[in-house]
Amino acid sequence: MPRSLLVIDDDRDIRQVAKTSLELVGGFHVIVADSGQRGLTLAHEARPDAIILDLMMPDLDGRKTLAQLKRTPETASIPVIMLTAKVQADRQELVGQGAAGVLVKPFDPMQLPDQVCQILGWVPSGKDEDRSDAAEK
Amino acid sequence: MTRQRNEEKVRAALEKVWLNSRPEALSGLATLEGFLEALRSGRTNEERLGIALSAAHRLSGSLGMFGLSEASSCAGEIEALLCQESAPDITVMAGLVRRLRILIEETQVPTRTQDKCDL
Repeated sequence: MPRSLLVIDDDRDIRQVAKTSLELVGGFHVIVADSGQRGLTLAHEARPDAIILDLMMPDLDGRKTLAQLKRTPETASIPVIMLTAKVQADRQELVGQGAAGVLVKPFDPMQLPDQVCQILGWVPSGKDEDRSDAAEK
Repeated sequence: MTRQRNEEKVRAALEKVWLNSRPEALSGLATLEGFLEALRSGRTNEERLGIALSAAHRLSGSLGMFGLSEASSCAGEIEALLCQESAPDITVMAGLVRRLRILIEETQVPTRTQDKCDL
């Protein structure tokens, strides 16, 4: 059963590209939310294995959403990776607030699944297949 | 092989997403050009600045995913310029906005390998 990820971003393109990349390259099951509020609801309902959360969003922004996720017992243990363009300034602060790590925007869709796995300490799916392919040759 | 095939699928999907996104990218660019005009004529205010800043931020974040890394950097420079406490330098802003238009307009199909601008 593939691991599940929830991507929360108000930018439609980023949601679409991240979902495509994480599903096709990473082999994850991906659900998406277009706002912090919707993300909180989906996190509670679906209990994904990890969440990718945009920092800058209108209304409930990434920081407030992260705080809410960590305050809620049902979602507190779900690792959250923050998505931000201002990585240098934000990384320490966000990790201090409970984020598992930070991804920089813009991301490379081909590298995104590996970056997620690296932050979370997961073995990227497909690596075993790559090795099998090499062994068959 | 599976991963390689899937990466090809991602590339194909990216092309489709870019075709839908390109008009929005051009619209964001038009917002920046409108702000530049307002800047030239002294008609800027906080609201217009906020809208321009949001457009630059969005372009900076999304263009790079389609392989338009130089365009993304260019939008990032515009965003940084708009974040300054002092009024943005009109000449610098005009150069960046012009460069951004060329970079977006010349990209019909996205690529993760390169983008270029002969300026």
